[in-house]
Amino acid sequence: MPFPGSPAADITVAVSSPLRDFCGGEAEIRVRAPDLRALLVELERSQPRLHRAICDETGRMRRHVNLFINELHMSERGGLDATLAPGDVVTILPAVSGGKT
Amino acid sequence: MTERMILSIGTKKGLFVAEASRTRGRFSLRGPFGSGVAVYSTLVDVRGASARIYASSCNAFFGMKVLVSTDRGKSFKETKSPPAFPKDDGRALANIWSLEAGAAKKDLWAGVEPAALFHSDDGGDSWEKVAGISDHEHASKWKPGAGGMCLHTILRDGKRVHVGISTGGHYLSEDGGLSFAPSNEGIGSAWNPVSYPEFGQCVHKIVGHKDAPGRFYMQNHGGDPKLPGIGVLRSDDHGRSWRSIAKGLPSDFGFPIVAHPHDPDTVYVMPLEGVTRTCPGGSPGVWRSENGGGSWKKLARGLPKKESFFTVLRDAMAIDDLSSPALYFGTTTGQLWIGRDGGEKWERLFESLPPINCVKVAQA
Repeated sequence: MPFPGSPAADITVAVSSPLRDFCGGEAEIRVRAPDLRALLVELERSQPRLHRAICDETGRMRRHVNLFINELHMSERGGLDATLAPGDVVTILPAVSGGKT
Repeated sequence: MTERMILSIGTKKGLFVAEASRTRGRFSLRGPFGSGVAVYSTLVDVRGASARIYASSCNAFFGMKVLVSTDRGKSFKETKSPPAFPKDDGRALANIWSLEAGAAKKDLWAGVEPAALFHSDDGGDSWEKVAGISDHEHASKWKPGAGGMCLHTILRDGKRVHVGISTGGHYLSEDGGLSFAPSNEGIGSAWNPVSYPEFGQCVHKIVGHKDAPGRFYMQNHGGDPKLPGIGVLRSDDHGRSWRSIAKGLPSDFGFPIVAHPHDPDTVYVMPLEGVTRTCPGGSPGVWRSENGGGSWKKLARGLPKKESFFTVLRDAMAIDDLSSPALYFGTTTGQLWIGRDGGEKWERLFESLPPINCVKVAQA
């Protein structure tokens, strides 16, 4: 149990294609985490390159990366404190930030 | 292996490599590498038995990478890690603006945004922040220019290390990079209430010369009638003091400055209008001085005579080291030009690349 005191749920992390280069080409990664913040901690441990693509070196999420819990943006689920339930799918997607470049 | 002329071209949409024989007849192009991701700095490193090409790949979505090629730009892979601030530093890497070779074979330096300096002793696989400038007491007072708050120029001269920061000014280390002090006497700043401040100038680029120790040329942020001539400067005392050499130029605003590889008195700039940052009057030209900035001549044979409004960015002009060298510049409109015979005769090598950020050249 990686997070004593909290029930860690089996979560599927869906990795969108632009990010698969950072995790050996995997489209899905299975992790156990009770909430979104813990999921990022677990990714930092198990998938450091993928984590660095999601968060900068201060630990802040990058501006142009979005996390969705099932079909809802993380902001609609309480942000990084959003609790996760077994079977949840956390999808990592780049933001629609085109135009300037 | 027969040496070839290698051009490494960083663009808004990835890195391109162009290669030609030493006669520079026809350049073949490959790329983009790091496709779709902006490259702000590149280095053709010819110190080892086989050349390496480095490039920063600055992904606005997912962060930075340093790419390296050991086959003259036929393929690239990521180094083990890019520069990164320590977690407790509080700063996050926003861009890599400069990659320069260090003294030892695998030494590399990287200038980054927010303005800081990193050093690698293993060819870019690991990096350490250079605290002497990155954590300088002035760092919190530096302000970003339009391109961001970047450390963009790194010059080594024995134990001396010069860095250019926009907008921080010129800083000089005389102890191999352990400590730095502002060294901006004579460098003006038109938007500062103090015209000649201790630091805070918007230095655009600095160049030195191996045959003239202590001599440096600078393209500073000029173009303001309140302080005419502050844009193009020269130092003869290792960058401790600077004087204007802008007289005779159509504008003292510009970004790159390049020195002739075999003649320290010959220097090249690309004047731009200060407000629009495009070619004066729509008529581009590289301007050359053959007397250390005493006078200037426009070199424009083969370049458009009118209706040309591109910008040439700080690292987008380079010169090779043949006995009769060629200049190269890339434009924000995606054209790459070669100026043969030291810029006497210009030809367009490529006309529709993505906007060009940087150009480096070497025989490899």
